[in-house]
Amino acid sequence: MIDDMKLKEVISNVLGVSIDIINDNSSPDNIDKWDSLSHLNLVMAIEAEFDVELTPEDSMDMLSVKLIRMILSDALNN
Amino acid sequence: MGNNLVDKLRKAAIKTPSDYAKFSREIEKIDTLTEINISYLASYTSEVLSPYIVVELAKKGYKGSLYFAPFNQFEQEIHSLDSELYLSDPDVVILHARIEDNHQDLVLRFAKYSDIDLNLMADNIIQRHKLMLEGLRNKSDAKIIVMNFGNILMTEEYFNSSPVIQAQYLFLQRMNNSLVELCNKISSCYVINYQELFNGIGLNNCIDPKLFYMARIPFNSNAQIKFGKVISRTIAASYEPPAKCIVLDLDNTLWGGVIGEDGISGIHLSDEYPGNVFKDFQRALLGLRDQGVLLSIASKNNLNDVLEVFEKHTDCLLKKSDFSSMQIHWENKASSIEKISKELNIGLDSMVFFDDNPVERDWVRKQLPNVKVIEVPKNSMDYLRVLNESTFFDRLALTSEDKARANIYHQEQHRKNDLNNSISVDDFLKDLKMTVQIGFSDDFTITRIVQLLNKTNQFNLTTKRYSSADLIKIINEGGKVLWLSASDRYGDNGIVGVAILVEIKQREWLIDSMLLSCRVIGRKIETVFLAEIIKILDGNNADFVYGQYLPTKKNNLVSNFYNQHSFQLTDKKNNLWEFNLNEGYIIKPNYIEVSIKND
Repeated sequence: MIDDMKLKEVISNVLGVSIDIINDNSSPDNIDKWDSLSHLNLVMAIEAEFDVELTPEDSMDMLSVKLIRMILSDALNN
Repeated sequence: MGNNLVDKLRKAAIKTPSDYAKFSREIEKIDTLTEINISYLASYTSEVLSPYIVVELAKKGYKGSLYFAPFNQFEQEIHSLDSELYLSDPDVVILHARIEDNHQDLVLRFAKYSDIDLNLMADNIIQRHKLMLEGLRNKSDAKIIVMNFGNILMTEEYFNSSPVIQAQYLFLQRMNNSLVELCNKISSCYVINYQELFNGIGLNNCIDPKLFYMARIPFNSNAQIKFGKVISRTIAASYEPPAKCIVLDLDNTLWGGVIGEDGISGIHLSDEYPGNVFKDFQRALLGLRDQGVLLSIASKNNLNDVLEVFEKHTDCLLKKSDFSSMQIHWENKASSIEKISKELNIGLDSMVFFDDNPVERDWVRKQLPNVKVIEVPKNSMDYLRVLNESTFFDRLALTSEDKARANIYHQEQHRKNDLNNSISVDDFLKDLKMTVQIGFSDDFTITRIVQLLNKTNQFNLTTKRYSSADLIKIINEGGKVLWLSASDRYGDNGIVGVAILVEIKQREWLIDSMLLSCRVIGRKIETVFLAEIIKILDGNNADFVYGQYLPTKKNNLVSNFYNQHSFQLTDKKNNLWEFNLNEGYIIKPNYIEVSIKND
């Protein structure tokens, strides 16, 4: 299981948005600060925080909180 | 509030990219830290370094405001005055042109190049750096930090006995040698040993191919953190002079055991464990002394026990004469440090205390909050590491004065002893057989001049801090930057004085800066210096010379300087003093021989 609070905290820290506004549907479409550079920062931060290595494809597909959680659990279980 | 934040940052466990991102944002809100504008020019995506540089700089009391130029836009940014680079008004410019980003075949097809090809390529790359650095230097006063060329391979699993890999390595070494030589010729330009840093982390630990191939980021977050630390440490070192003196404990610091209990044959100091750990630490301290750091002792011991070790212990590398000051008795160490500070004429904030005893460290911290106290670990094998990690002795330039300093102070002790014996101060000064030479700043003297401008606190009339780029600007605008060197029968003190003269109106000059190193204060050299300044300005047809005294916490010593030298107070608010060249001259002692070095 993914620690949901921890995930939200990482997203909040990296993107610089309040943790309260982050939900499953949060994505680059509704968070302005989630641009391509901060997306990379997010990938790096998630890798470090959850001690996991993501593939380039994983990294590109993680385009919402929901998708991040799915891809992250897959990566952690493999 | 700023200081609270700095404290908080130093104590907080900031380890992951997420932590850095969070604290970096907090720092952005603070405006009590010293701001530094940093521009970063790179051949890769460098923005990701931002939080690491910001947080690590804030730990040192600085607020970095970063501009990242679009990648690979070196010439476009450097050679046009209206580029974003100059609009961001940088205090520091970081330049990192990785060879492999522009010469990709060097990485995987190195064997295709002939020696002639390689020479040509090396010349071209160095020439490109030369043009970039000179362009930058001409258009900006910013300090310049250049990364040297790192290992260009992407994995450690190559066959490193291959002649191709070895030739590639030699090629990089040659380039790095040329780069350092080039940067040494550019004022306020420093090189970060990027190659060494990344080899130290290990290629496999610092490269994430995904980041490189997807986004042109040549290092992973682990390496970004370490890189950010080194960049910040270098920037801080370009702002802060190194500490001048280390105050050392003896028992369990310079040797293992307690001399008063274990005796000279019982203490650990030898070529075998554990004595070799302490012997090596002594060697490192001598290494600091070689670079101009004064060694001193604050120890609770019987003086004779200690002197016996210095004189008779064959493995004790440190000798009595290596120490500029020794406080060995049973009084408390805070007062010992104060005495050392007075004796050597060094401010408490330039002193570092190293003692294995936490109680002593605590006492000194509380009594003398300005003294820098190193948190000494229990294991003596870690002493060397904490000494280096402390950053207190970080030094970006090393002058011949630095190398000779500790010996000069040793001579100074002899001078002071003489002073106690002699009949009158004037007789003593006469007997010193002093000579001074005065000259104009040039390539050979500018490093020392900048060093003095940035660290002299006591005999310093205006305490204005200038970089070498600032000085070149002053000279180009018609100002004069003078140095003064002094020697006497005990030895050569090297360059110990600086004055900056600027014409403020026709025939009216201002002594913008004037300072003397504390080593030579009280010998009438200051009077000679001022008299010669007036003479030089007289030669430039000056009618009036103005001097200013800007008080600081440390320069009370010179508050009456102009008054004592027949200057008239003309502007009380600005503490501005006037000297009319048509009405008087300055009487100087005849026992100091003066020569002017003209180029």
